[in-house]
Amino acid sequence: MVFILGVNFPEQRLVKRALESFYGVGPSISLRLMAKFHIHPTARVGEIATKQVTDLTAELSSMTIENDLRRRLRDNIKRLRDMGTYRGRRHAMGLPVRGQSTQTQISTARKLNKIERKG
Amino acid sequence: MLRCSPSIHPGSRLFSTTPAFLANPIKAKRPDPNSSGPQKGVKSLKIKKKNTLRSAGRPPAPGERKALRKRIVLSNTNALEVKGMQDLSNDNMADKQIQGTVVGLPGPLVDQLRAAEAFRTGQGWGLFRRPGVLMRENSLEIARDLQDVVSGKKTLRRIYTGERGSGKSVVLLQAIAMAFLKDWVVVTIPEASQNRIAQDLTNAHTEYAPLSSSTTTPSQYVQRAYTASLLSRISKANSAVLSDLKVSLSHKLRIPIQPGTSLSHLADLGVRDPDIAWPIFQALWGELTSTKAARPPIMLTLDGLGHIMRDSQYRDPAFKPIHAHDLTIARHFVDHLSGVRSLPNGGAVLAATSASNVPFAPSLALAIDQRLHPTTSASSPSPSSSSSLSSSQQMPVWRKPVQRNPFMTYDERVLQSITPDLEIVELQGLTREEARGLMEYYAASGMLRHRVDESFVTEKWTIAGGGIVGEIEKASVMGPRV
Repeated sequence: MVFILGVNFPEQRLVKRALESFYGVGPSISLRLMAKFHIHPTARVGEIATKQVTDLTAELSSMTIENDLRRRLRDNIKRLRDMGTYRGRRHAMGLPVRGQSTQTQISTARKLNKIERKG
Repeated sequence: MLRCSPSIHPGSRLFSTTPAFLANPIKAKRPDPNSSGPQKGVKSLKIKKKNTLRSAGRPPAPGERKALRKRIVLSNTNALEVKGMQDLSNDNMADKQIQGTVVGLPGPLVDQLRAAEAFRTGQGWGLFRRPGVLMRENSLEIARDLQDVVSGKKTLRRIYTGERGSGKSVVLLQAIAMAFLKDWVVVTIPEASQNRIAQDLTNAHTEYAPLSSSTTTPSQYVQRAYTASLLSRISKANSAVLSDLKVSLSHKLRIPIQPGTSLSHLADLGVRDPDIAWPIFQALWGELTSTKAARPPIMLTLDGLGHIMRDSQYRDPAFKPIHAHDLTIARHFVDHLSGVRSLPNGGAVLAATSASNVPFAPSLALAIDQRLHPTTSASSPSPSSSSSLSSSQQMPVWRKPVQRNPFMTYDERVLQSITPDLEIVELQGLTREEARGLMEYYAASGMLRHRVDESFVTEKWTIAGGGIVGEIEKASVMGPRV
């Protein structure tokens, strides 16, 4: 078991997949992160050196990911709402923000658009 | 108001005041089987069959299926043993007599070739009793060239190219076999092996790290796991030769090397500890190319040249692709192929392109095309050459001069690595005599049940696009039986 940013990963897990388990790290960021520390794309968590694990953890902790990123998202929505913009109001009402029609098919907006958005 | 009066018939009632909820519930209506359309909430589309047979056994262990896929079968006990088949040996390899015949590979040599991973899957070794190779013109040519190398301590540098199934990899295998018979040291980078694929050199499937000692730009990268597997291949395939050679130079390595250590042991040190595999490989190469002690010539081969003639899949810290020539092993090979580094004790550096697993390497294709079809000789053929056409040669055709595609970006490093003194050999089809020898071998093995006569050979030779050996094999022993 290997700790990356305080999370325990089994050794056979791909490094790429382990990194992408963090909110805010997708395919592009994970590949760039791995290239930065000379980890090949098919590397497994158990194969990489301890130095690379600590480097990855240090780099991840300096990035805006996980709860910081969620907070930033909420703050952005809140700012729009506080200014009284149309986008802010639509978020608050749980309706589509970008001019989509609302007669049908707005389940995604209902699910996601809220002031206290989860992520 | 109703009143119930005592009945005339005591068991029956005229009127009941029992509440409705005590009554039996109304039975749900059964769905009408004749009604059309599926019932609500019932899945109508059933793709999965009900009684599918599930295998009771466990699924194969990790790597098992790959091992089966990459398995190399070299014998078929059902095939007949060919009577009077000669074995390839030091004496007969350059003999003009054996051109067009199939020679067997002796047992110990087969083990060495297997260790060097010179055999590939899909080459049809498993069809015959034991591995045998057709001695074609190119095979004899390389046998003669290897003799020249020994006598003149030169370096033979050559690329084999040609269309799919033209025998590039097998000619490479023949060269490796001859080098083993001559007690050379053979270093192979195969195209498809059990453990590491040649693409693995560049497809970012093995670990990589910047070379700490490199000060050049762009920086160099070392692949420790791949280097360790290369050392293991060298040590296993050349154990007889390397165990007789002793360390003669002093090396600055992390672990002390005792004087008098055999080179085979030196290579094994790198296999055991991949961290020092690259310094060990350099030390081993330094020993092999040292002129202070008696060292045998070296054969360095690579199959699937296109893979190392372009950007690799690895990325540098700035996320730019790392050029394959910046990977130490690929660089080592390319330096020897282009003549930047030489082999002081003589040897051969051979490469083969691949036509079945072709990476996109336009610069290599351009460099080879320009060398094979230079603009000056693209004019109409001279009358003397046309009169001396033999049956195997094709009619000369006018070709468009090879030019750069203006819409393509070419890689100058690759173009420069194909130096003018590097030999490029395009493998053509077999001659009819060679094709006949091959088919007689098929027939003698019992794999071809047809009389081998002139018309049959001609037919198969023509079907095979003018004697392309892979196609001859397909048409006569692999394809539908005729």
